Amino acid sequence: MTATGILIWAVTIATGLALWRRDPPAIASGVRFAFGTLKSVLPVMILALPMAGFLTVLVPERFAAVLFGAETGLRGHLLATVVGAFIPGGPFVSFPIVLALWNSGAGAPQMVTLISAWSVLAINRVIVWEAPLMGWRFVWLRLLTGFWLPLASGLIAEALLALLPPGSIGR
Amino acid sequence: MTSPPSPPVPNLPARNGGTRSSLLVVAALSGASGLAAWAVKGSDSVVQGLAIAWGLALTILPVLGAALLLAGFVQAGIARDTISRWLGAESGFRGLAIATVAGAATPGGPMAAFPLVLALAAGGADRGALIAYITAWSLNGFQRILVWEIPILGPEFAALRFLASLPLPILAGLLARRLPPWRV
Repeated sequence: MTATGILIWAVTIATGLALWRRDPPAIASGVRFAFGTLKSVLPVMILALPMAGFLTVLVPERFAAVLFGAETGLRGHLLATVVGAFIPGGPFVSFPIVLALWNSGAGAPQMVTLISAWSVLAINRVIVWEAPLMGWRFVWLRLLTGFWLPLASGLIAEALLALLPPGSIGR
Repeated sequence: MTSPPSPPVPNLPARNGGTRSSLLVVAALSGASGLAAWAVKGSDSVVQGLAIAWGLALTILPVLGAALLLAGFVQAGIARDTISRWLGAESGFRGLAIATVAGAATPGGPMAAFPLVLALAAGGADRGALIAYITAWSLNGFQRILVWEIPILGPEFAALRFLASLPLPILAGLLARRLPPWRV
């Protein structure tokens, strides 16, 4: 297992122990929740992984570098905002797409912008869920207060990366 | 929304159709991308794509078990009514900070989060807190980070994105309080 795997298992076990000391029966409901989620996530993931593979093969080597590369600056962030806003579906669609783009040379901060745009602007979710459930007034309030967030998160990510030694996050 | 929600909207039943339609969508996308790979780059590329998928599966599966359990423990530790109690009670900057934590802790898709916002609005939570809550849920939903982002994109990227997005729900909430008043 990778270092990541070991770290996550360690955090999980520590959290489980803390929960067990505070509220032992909650452990069982946590495990039930995990299995319930696994049952719904696993089939989707099994179908989503081939898509990630095919997209990685399909997206030409330097394609994303030209559009979203680290050197594209503000233009890359703005394009990532627009593209992210229109990616439909749940994380099982967006994360494989981001992985394929990242593998073909997109910059990490630009991908932060893209994920933020997908999660905050989410044109598809607005039309299918938010407007019918919450009404357009709420949608406008949320978009007015949130339209600038994807760009902000990408630029903050860029500033954070500048503080780290080069190559600490990359593909 | 067009009219104040009263009575508070109860939790809508989670629809199984949601999962089924996700399955259909992702199956269609996988099939289409496989077909495109075959048409554009030939059958070798299909095998290559599947090999990449297999490699991903091998990295993801060991982490996924822990991630799901961790999400389950967090979920079991923070009950849904705790979240709404926190949000109803606090205003000011503290209210926004709490709304941000509560939003990130709310698991599930739009069917879980939006009805909670309606209930909170009916319960008197202010507009800034509602916006901070829903923004934090969409940007930094803890469950999504654990189940999808860390396994697929890696913990370094997930941490970078999480940190970069951390202050934003509070800023969106502050902005929402400053906009000219209208009923939400």
